Amino acid sequence: MMSANAPLVSIKSLRKSYGPYIQVLKGLDIEMKPGERVVVIGPSGGGKSTLLRVMMGLEKIDSGSITFGGEPYISSKGSDKKTVIDTEVRRSIGMVFQHYTLFPHLNVTQNLILAPCKVRGENKVSATKRAHALLDRFGLGAKANAYPAQLSGGQKQRVAIARALMLDPKLMLFDEVTSALDPELVAEVEQVILQLAAQNMPMMIVTHDMWFAKNIASRVIFCAGGVVVEDGPPEQVLGSPKEERTRDFIDRVFHIRH
Amino acid sequence: MGYSFDFQSIAFGPLLDGLAVTLQLTATANLIGVVLGFPLALLIMSRFAPIRLPAMLFVEFFRCTPAIVQIVWFFYCVPMLFNVFLGSMTMGILALGLNLMAFNAEAYRAAIQAVPREQLDAGIALGLNPLQRTLYIVLPTAVRASIPVLLTNGIGIFQQSALVAIVAVQDLMYQAKTLATETYRPIETFTIVALVYFAVSFPISQIVGFLERRRQLMMS
Repeated sequence: MMSANAPLVSIKSLRKSYGPYIQVLKGLDIEMKPGERVVVIGPSGGGKSTLLRVMMGLEKIDSGSITFGGEPYISSKGSDKKTVIDTEVRRSIGMVFQHYTLFPHLNVTQNLILAPCKVRGENKVSATKRAHALLDRFGLGAKANAYPAQLSGGQKQRVAIARALMLDPKLMLFDEVTSALDPELVAEVEQVILQLAAQNMPMMIVTHDMWFAKNIASRVIFCAGGVVVEDGPPEQVLGSPKEERTRDFIDRVFHIRH
Repeated sequence: MGYSFDFQSIAFGPLLDGLAVTLQLTATANLIGVVLGFPLALLIMSRFAPIRLPAMLFVEFFRCTPAIVQIVWFFYCVPMLFNVFLGSMTMGILALGLNLMAFNAEAYRAAIQAVPREQLDAGIALGLNPLQRTLYIVLPTAVRASIPVLLTNGIGIFQQSALVAIVAVQDLMYQAKTLATETYRPIETFTIVALVYFAVSFPISQIVGFLERRRQLMMS
């Protein structure tokens, strides 16, 4: 059972490598409280996206464990270090990807109701009703019957967020969701995520957009070389970082933006 | 050259009969190829070698030998080896159908493997189990993606079907050869026959082009 004080997510000594030589996560420890909005920043190849993919249960791990809401979620067991993922727990987590990943053969409504109908056995009428309400909320009511190819990048990404929300996730993961967008479309997607933040949806966000990070984060983690380098409130990590490596990174990022 | 053309003496009746046989061959071979090509594609993608290897051997046999050899082999060798003869039409259909099945299996396989990994990740993130991911994401996407290639293979077999004339199936080509010999009018006969093959194939190849352009638009 989820108790009020228990961490929502608890990641312990998480290690992950691709092949024998490329270690991406080198013993990560992160504890996330309910209601927190964690933004993960850091240089490319630092393990940010891998962390989110592992949390979504999309990757095998080498060692370590993750609990969710106090329940065991991901661990590596036995002598062959087999990754064990509790798929029931996984259903409480929603994820939005960089490249939209809408199903091209289904229209917007069908994209939204596929999982509720097939995974949860919800009937089509009630799922459709919920889908349309959600689309209206995100300003996409007119696109309910459009196909993904007929949408702009910003619209696709908002649909992808709505699709994840259809399953009432208790945690949302956003993996560079605005990186593939044209600059003028970034704001509409970030607005939707800010709207979710206003409703206290717990989330973990990987982004390169420092303005967005500052506005949405309740906590910022700077991740580099597969470990957590700095972890704290946004004012600290983004404003006056303690660690040399964080400072270097922040300086470079903001330099480019000036 | 001094050759005077005479299209009057070409009897269209036998040619139309031949075309009907050719279309029947094509339709049946396509039915076999489109339907059975899919399970064959699943077999050649099996992780289990005793299933995968024979299926691959079957596909490679048809891809790496000339169609005319396959037809002759079916017509002469199958009856001798297995002591069955099913009639030249059936043998022709079998040879063309199995040939198309092998090529279509490759088309399906390529389309299935071309489904982006991210689509499957999205399916996992939405809680779909492996069977649901296959049914609702991989299959619809892959079948749509393979349609242009299936159509191209389909017209290919329509043209290849002319080869069965050599084993006395009375298709368009067989009727044309007979007619040309009887009338001493090979130029007229074969020109007409070429135009007939063209008239059937060309619109379909145009449709393929249209589908491919539309698909590129859908993917962008």
